[in-house]
Amino acid sequence: MRVEFQGELDALEAGFQETGEIVLRSIRAVADALRTQDVELCDEVIAFDDEIDDRYHGLEKQIELVLARQTPVAGDLRLVLALLHSGLHVERMGDQCVTIAKLTKLSAHLDTKQTVIESLVDMGERCEEMVRVSLDAFAARDVETARGLHGLDDLVDRANRQVFGEVLGYVHNPEALEWGMRQITVARCFERIGDNAVDIGEQTAFLVTGEFAEFTDASH
Amino acid sequence: MEARRIDSGKIAEVSHGLERTEVERREKVFSVTDLSVAYSGNVALEGVNLDVHKQTVTAFIGPSGCGKSTFIRCFNRMNDLVPSARVSGTVLYHGEDLYARDVDSVEIRRRIGMVFQKPNPFPKSIYDNIAFGPRVLSMEGSLDERVEQALRRAALWDEVKDRLKDGALGLSGGQQQRLCIARALAVEPDVILMDEPASALDPISTTRIEDLMHELKRDYTIIIVTHNMQQAARVADMTAFFSVIVDEDGGGRRGVLVEYDSTTKIFTTPSDKRTEDYVTGRFG
Repeated sequence: MRVEFQGELDALEAGFQETGEIVLRSIRAVADALRTQDVELCDEVIAFDDEIDDRYHGLEKQIELVLARQTPVAGDLRLVLALLHSGLHVERMGDQCVTIAKLTKLSAHLDTKQTVIESLVDMGERCEEMVRVSLDAFAARDVETARGLHGLDDLVDRANRQVFGEVLGYVHNPEALEWGMRQITVARCFERIGDNAVDIGEQTAFLVTGEFAEFTDASH
Repeated sequence: MEARRIDSGKIAEVSHGLERTEVERREKVFSVTDLSVAYSGNVALEGVNLDVHKQTVTAFIGPSGCGKSTFIRCFNRMNDLVPSARVSGTVLYHGEDLYARDVDSVEIRRRIGMVFQKPNPFPKSIYDNIAFGPRVLSMEGSLDERVEQALRRAALWDEVKDRLKDGALGLSGGQQQRLCIARALAVEPDVILMDEPASALDPISTTRIEDLMHELKRDYTIIIVTHNMQQAARVADMTAFFSVIVDEDGGGRRGVLVEYDSTTKIFTTPSDKRTEDYVTGRFG
């Protein structure tokens, strides 16, 4: 039994899950900032992203060392690869949160349309749920739950299209156009977070089954 | 700058070994059925079924005492040299029973050469080491040419061509092992068996032996026993994992074949939990 190696694998996975928890806080924070149009909270999310980036790069470095020194194979190799991919997806989610925070700040002085804001907050909450599910399914090696992410993502995609329609209906002057376009981008950021959560689900399936397959064809 | 054109299929074969379907399309060199080996009545290896195909590298891996060295010795009847050994089951070599009464074991060992863990050159010149087999077998043609060709195939010619009359024992360990491979090649074998051929060598010499295996499989069928799992992963197209079964009373220990599949499959998604535990270092 390679005790030290198992310890290293456990530490990698714990590091990934901790980074995931931090990103969950960022997603919750941007949804709150949208609801309350809280510019200070947006600044916190933006500053907080450095922490996420540092953790991701730390994970990447540790994975490089494990690959070089331990040459993992079979299930161990799949775990390391799945952690590398999933870690990057989590890091990307953090970046989407930064974009949402910046756009929220830029829109704060403009008039808002409440139904759009409510839809965006709803998207944020759904994304938070998806990321939670993706992290838990990974930890539990639960492929069935991971596959369920695809259904949750449909709801986020639908909400994204709804925001687009609501913004189109709202735009009545140049200022509203500026605001509306920013909100469409916010919706797009949430939509990407949902996709990244599905990607982590696909990594869970790869980890457990050894076969990589997208849950759905993204081009459809 | 002109783009380099690379045949990706070729690269895949070199770096990842052959796919199982491709291996199985090739002619069967050995077909082993229900093979068991016992020494003085104690079963060392039990009930092995496995085919080895032409121009492939097949690796046998497993913990100490799993019978992998016993097994490789069945392919050229080396176990005949152990008085207490009893082999049952069948080993077909190109469809012929290797253990049939009228089989000439000397001819078998010419066609199925063997390289051992520790290089074992004769205490003679480099030239005479290679020339020994062809001389004994009265093989036709120029002996000089035969020696040169064998040394070239074993990737040793350039290093020794100016000192063929020097003693073989003056060569480095890695060179001695390639000399032993050249000696096996000089009698025009069909199969080369290698029992941990690189375990006594430094990493650079090991790499040379591994490169050589990739070269040699174009013309020969190679079977290798190795303790080094990464070596199996690097050189073999097919890998067989053997394990030990200990009797309930703790008395007997028998080697069994657990899983035999493409090396890629064994090292990425093995079917048997015992294989996974072994290749990931959790057991053995």
